[in-house]
Amino acid sequence: MNPIVTKVILAVGLALIVAAAVVTRKVWLSGIWHAVPSVWRIAKITVAEARRRRVLRAVIALVIVIIISMTFFSYLSPQEQARMLINGGLSAITVFGILLAIFVAAFLIPNEIENRTVYAILAKPVRRFEFVLGKYLGALIVLAAVVAIMTVVLVGVLLVQDRLVEDLPDSAFNPNIGQVVFAAAMSYCALAVLTALIVLISTVSSTTMTVISAFIIWVVGSLQSQIHDLAENAAGAAKLLLLVMYHLVPHLENFDFRFQASYFQPIPVPAAVSAVLSGILYTGVVLIVASVFFNDRQV
Amino acid sequence: MASADAVLEIEGLTKVYRSLFTPAGVRAVDNLNLTVRQGETYSIVGPNGSGKTTTLKILLGLIFPTAGSATIFGKDIADLSVRERIGFLPEDAYLYDCFSGEELLDFYASLFGYSKARRRELVDELLTLVGMQANRKVPFRECSKGMRQRIALAQALVNDPELLILDEPTSGLDPAGRHQMTLLIQEMKRRGKTILLCSHFLAEVEEVCDRVGIMYRGRLVAEGTLSELAGEPEETVVTATGLTGDLAGRLSALPTVREVTTDTVRLDHVGEKDLWQVLQVIHEGGGEIVEVSRPRPSLQDIFVKAIREEAQ
Repeated sequence: MNPIVTKVILAVGLALIVAAAVVTRKVWLSGIWHAVPSVWRIAKITVAEARRRRVLRAVIALVIVIIISMTFFSYLSPQEQARMLINGGLSAITVFGILLAIFVAAFLIPNEIENRTVYAILAKPVRRFEFVLGKYLGALIVLAAVVAIMTVVLVGVLLVQDRLVEDLPDSAFNPNIGQVVFAAAMSYCALAVLTALIVLISTVSSTTMTVISAFIIWVVGSLQSQIHDLAENAAGAAKLLLLVMYHLVPHLENFDFRFQASYFQPIPVPAAVSAVLSGILYTGVVLIVASVFFNDRQV
Repeated sequence: MASADAVLEIEGLTKVYRSLFTPAGVRAVDNLNLTVRQGETYSIVGPNGSGKTTTLKILLGLIFPTAGSATIFGKDIADLSVRERIGFLPEDAYLYDCFSGEELLDFYASLFGYSKARRRELVDELLTLVGMQANRKVPFRECSKGMRQRIALAQALVNDPELLILDEPTSGLDPAGRHQMTLLIQEMKRRGKTILLCSHFLAEVEEVCDRVGIMYRGRLVAEGTLSELAGEPEETVVTATGLTGDLAGRLSALPTVREVTTDTVRLDHVGEKDLWQVLQVIHEGGGEIVEVSRPRPSLQDIFVKAIREEAQ
C-alpha cells in the first residue's frame, strides 16, 4: 500500500479513536477502574463456556490430523517436504482459525440475546461496553489457545521430521521454527482484527447476517490487493464501492507471512510492525463503535 | 410526587415498539405510574402482552422507554449503582446451561466484586437457602424446571438485594415447585426485602402480595391492597341444613333473600337486623345453621372484572 495512504488511514483512525473517546468519556471515565475486573470476569466465563463446547476440540483435532497427514508425502525431497509442511500447516492454522473466529465471534453476543442469558448479567452492575469487551477478550483467549495448540503441534511435527531426515543424504530440511511461530502469531493478529469486526457486526444484526458478513469480510480482507487493482480500473459506483471496501475492511493479507516462513525468506520487520500497529488501531476503533452500538441496543 | 418511603417510582412510563409494518407503533406500556414502597411486596398482574415484562425490562435497563421516567432508591434507573442493590429473577431462568448451580452462583457473585472466600461462603448459604446443596454440581441443563428456578432465584440474591424483581417466578412449575417458590418469596418478605413481582398465577399473588396493580394493554387499570380492590362484600351467605319445603318458601319470601338452595341462603349485604330475621326463620323452621359468611371476591374475580370493564 502507498505509505502516504497508510499514514492517512492511521491518522484518521487515531482521530476517530480520540473523537469516540471524547464522546463516550462519561461512559468510560467514571468506570475505568470498575471496568477492568468486570471485563475479565465476562472474559473468563466466555472462555469457560467455549471450553465445554465439543466443536472447539473437534477443530483442533482436525487440524492436528491434517498437519500430521502431510508428513506422509515421502516422495518429496526434504526441503520440498519442509516447505509443504510449513505452508500447509500455517494455512490450516489460518483457515481453521478464521472459521473458528467467525463461529465463535458471530455467536458471542447474538446467542446471549437469543438465549436471554444477557438479562441476568446486565441486571448486575455490568456496563454494556464491559460486556462487549469481556466477550471479545474471551474470544481472543480461546483463539490464542487454539492457535497455540495448533502451532505447537506443527512445530513438533517439523522437529520430529527434521530428526527423521537428518541422516539422509542431501538433507536440507532445517525448518526455521522462529519464522513458523512468527507467522502463526501474525495469523493470530489477523484473527484478532477479524474477530473485533465480527463482534461489531453482531451488535447490530442477527447471527445469520453476522456469519454471512464475516465470510464476505474474510474474502475481501484476503484479496485487498486485487480489490485495489479493480478499483483503479473501475468507474462510477463500482469504483466507489470497491474503494469503500478497500479502506473499511481490514487488510488481512498484511498479516500473512506464510510465504516467508515456508521459503525461508527474511521477515520484513517494518511491514509486520506496521500491520500489527494498524491492526491494534483498527481493532480499537471497531470495539469502541461496537460498544456504542451495543449501548443503544434493546435486548 | 416522590414518596419518602418509595423504593421504586415510575412516572408516565411509555414504551412504543415501531417497525416497518407498524409505523404508528404498538404501545406495550402506556403512561404507567406506579410506586413500590419500602418493605412491601407489590405484584403486577395482567394477561399475556399486557406490558408486565416490558416494564421490568425497562427498569433493568435492558430496553429503553419511549417516554416517562423511573427511579429506584431515588436514582435514575440508568445509574449503575442502582444495580448493586437489586436482584432480578428472569422469566424461565435463562442462565448459562453448561455450568452447575455452584459455578453459576460463583460467577454472578464475582460480578459484584466479592473475594473468592466470600463467594464460597455466599454460594454455600444460597444453595442451602434454595435447597440445592445436594445438587450443587449438577449442570444447569440437567436440572429440573423447579431446580433451575431455585438457582435463578439464588443468583438474584447474591448481592443480598434490597429490591427483588421477580418475573413470573412460578411459571412452568408443578404445584410442589410453585409451593416451594412461594415459600421462598415469603422468606424474602420476612427478611424485609421489597419485592416487585410479575405473575399471572393469581393464587400465588394473593398469598404473598401486599398490593396489586392490574395491567391491561400497557396501562394500570386497577391498583390497591386486595381488600381495597375487593371492596365491601356484596352478599351474605348462610350455610344451613334442612332448607327444604315450607322453610325454603318462607325464606324466599323475605325481601333481602336473593337465592335459596338446599344448603345455602344468599342475601344482599344487609344489616344485623335483617340477618337475625333470616337466622330466626331458619331456626324456627327446624333448620340447623352451620356458618354465616360474607365472602370477598377473589383476586381472580377482581382481575376478570377489571379486564372486562377495561375491554368495554
